[in-house]
Amino acid sequence: MATKLRVESVSAWYGEKLAIQDITMDIEEHMVTAVIGPSGCGKSTLIRCLNRMHETIPKARVEGKVLLQGEDIYASSPVSVRRRIGMVFQKANPFPTMSIYDNVAAGLRLNGVRNRDELDKAVLASLKQAALWDEVKDSLDKSGASLSGGQQQRLCIARALAVKPEVLLMDEPCSALDPIATAKIEDLIFDLKKDFTLIVVTHNMQQAARVSETTAFMYLGKLIEVSNTRELFERPREALTESYITGRFG
Amino acid sequence: MKFPFDRDTRRRWIDLAMSGAAFVCVVIAIIPLGSILIEASVRGLRSLSPAVLTATTGQGGIGNAIQGTLILILLSALVSLPVGILTGIYLSEFGKNRLGAAVRFFVEVMTQVPSMVVGIFVYSLVLELGLIGLGSPRLVFSTISGVLALSTIMVPFVARTSEEALRLVSIAVRESALALGIPRHRTILRVVVPSASSALVTGGLLGIARVAGETAPLLVTAFGNNDWFRGLDQPIESLPHTIYIWATGPYVAQNQAAWGVSLVLVLMMLGLSIASRVVIRLRSVSR
Amino acid sequence: MPQAAERKALEKGLKKLNENMVTLAELAELSIRKAVDGLTRLDPEVAQEVFTLDQEVYGLQLEIERTCIDLLALHAPVARDLRTITTSLKITTDLDRIGRYGKDLSELTLQFRDRHIVEREDVARILEMADRTISMVDTAIEAFVHRNAESVRNIIEVDDAVDQLHDENFKDIVRRMMEGKLNIDTGARYLLVNRYFERIADHAVNIGLRVVYMVTGDWLPRVRAADRAKRRDEGSAKSTP
Repeated sequence: MATKLRVESVSAWYGEKLAIQDITMDIEEHMVTAVIGPSGCGKSTLIRCLNRMHETIPKARVEGKVLLQGEDIYASSPVSVRRRIGMVFQKANPFPTMSIYDNVAAGLRLNGVRNRDELDKAVLASLKQAALWDEVKDSLDKSGASLSGGQQQRLCIARALAVKPEVLLMDEPCSALDPIATAKIEDLIFDLKKDFTLIVVTHNMQQAARVSETTAFMYLGKLIEVSNTRELFERPREALTESYITGRFG
Repeated sequence: MKFPFDRDTRRRWIDLAMSGAAFVCVVIAIIPLGSILIEASVRGLRSLSPAVLTATTGQGGIGNAIQGTLILILLSALVSLPVGILTGIYLSEFGKNRLGAAVRFFVEVMTQVPSMVVGIFVYSLVLELGLIGLGSPRLVFSTISGVLALSTIMVPFVARTSEEALRLVSIAVRESALALGIPRHRTILRVVVPSASSALVTGGLLGIARVAGETAPLLVTAFGNNDWFRGLDQPIESLPHTIYIWATGPYVAQNQAAWGVSLVLVLMMLGLSIASRVVIRLRSVSR
Repeated sequence: MPQAAERKALEKGLKKLNENMVTLAELAELSIRKAVDGLTRLDPEVAQEVFTLDQEVYGLQLEIERTCIDLLALHAPVARDLRTITTSLKITTDLDRIGRYGKDLSELTLQFRDRHIVEREDVARILEMADRTISMVDTAIEAFVHRNAESVRNIIEVDDAVDQLHDENFKDIVRRMMEGKLNIDTGARYLLVNRYFERIADHAVNIGLRVVYMVTGDWLPRVRAADRAKRRDEGSAKSTP
């Protein structure tokens, strides 16, 4: 499998505070890469550096290179990067004043697409990809907030998919959801990888084991180990990784 | 003295007592408000009639006062709402630096300036400008002058409520819009501001209500006029001004009639408030 | 913190599992030693003791299986814990089998006893097979108890020697039966004894290989001696131009 995203010696700061240090890893395309680690290890910071969201925080700074199919994303405009690398957040946050349709279409509409046909097609395709179409096809003009938590998260996924990114970053997408909604999203992740490359940050190790092919373990801002998921969970190389995944930390 | 009751019963009594006290306080707070409305309605209705509403103050009616207030409010809103909201947007979206802090402080101070002082300031400003050739000294008593004064009061108020309204929009909404590759300015204008629209509208209406009842600054700017609106450069009548003149005048009949004018002003504010709620409800239903 | 509490329960379970496994291993080894002792001295009482041991071994094995399934269901273990539990699950089968062969040897003891037929020559051979086999079982069990993978890495080679001895014994017994020097009834039972030891050694190899996996995560495949010899020959054939 080809490398979709290459992270080269990336470090990031919040003001003076160093959050992640010298991270280097490859993300393979059409696969799911999970990032695990205890709270505060820097996993969210890392993926926010991959779609240039980290720099939207005042006084935040990034060093190093992130190459999307060979091009350094820090050499292009952030807006164009974010169209190729999308993001889904921990708490589902559909735009509050918009309907379901408008939410999904927002990324396209607000970037100049006006053709109603084109928007209709994109909304249909994205909602289908997000396994939400059947549940909302008759109420597309209802407010986004009228859906359940799991549905809202799938709506946010549809919204992110509508701009047809190549990579989808997911920051703890299931942590606010119940087990059934979580299972639906995990199934969705499984289906999405044939069309996209996914990176999922999760604090739930079993989830990482279930959905990913590659798992990266971070601790205190450093990348401790990254390998094939089965290897990492059956016989991790680093003692620190073993301590963490067997729950014997600290 | 020994408390005869056990802890639970004591707690229940205290709870009841506190609830009762809170209720009494609410009643006390509402009494003045309620009595104003009742007094204004009872006494005011007596002195109102279609004739009164359509005649000018020169003829004993209040038609031009109503027209004047409406014109002043409309023009002030036209000026202040955009300026205030844009300032609010600047402060909330870009104002996390020292310049933003300075502007915020300045705005805060401006909301506290007594309206009379604003009036005198505008008076002097227009006069000085007139004397050096921008406009004319005559403009001190004119609609423009009145609008300037009311705007000076309204802008900081609207700026502050707008900033707060925008702050209430969760950072998550901004982040998801940015993460979709939507440029910052469009994120603000097409996502954040619409999300805060009801709060912004409320802020605007509050601003209008604030200035609709201002009398003091208008005394030295809009000045008052017994005739219908004659032009932007002419003095203009307003409801608060009429109330002031009639209530403090020597004629008892006029004093009584002032209640009618008060009622009209109160009803106008009520109407604005209801209209805005209807508009907001309509907008959210259509989604 | 919920994580810490979960670890305590898991630790407790693992500790109990380990204790039971050690007991099971000790019982299995004891079973063989007693069986060999009973066989060489044709002592029926010892044979009976082995029967009792076999029951204990079986009961303990069931309990261990139960424990392993519970730990897997409740704690979703990973890495070392996972390897330990799955290895234990597999090894109990081998240990149970070893115990069973002890029982089988003791049954033979009772049958021989009836006929007073064990010859000195045969005793020596049996003892040699027994020694090597018991030594292999002991090594494998020690490796498990002390989590030492190094000591069992070459257990396959040791097994090769036992296999060879088994083949020699087999040929010898058959020859003697054909030459009439050995009663066929007795000879058949000798063949069984020979066989049992070879099988016990195989189970010891299984245990050893699984211990290597448990400790290091490496899978060492069980390659039979004949195949290994074939590969060696093929290898040297390839390297010579």
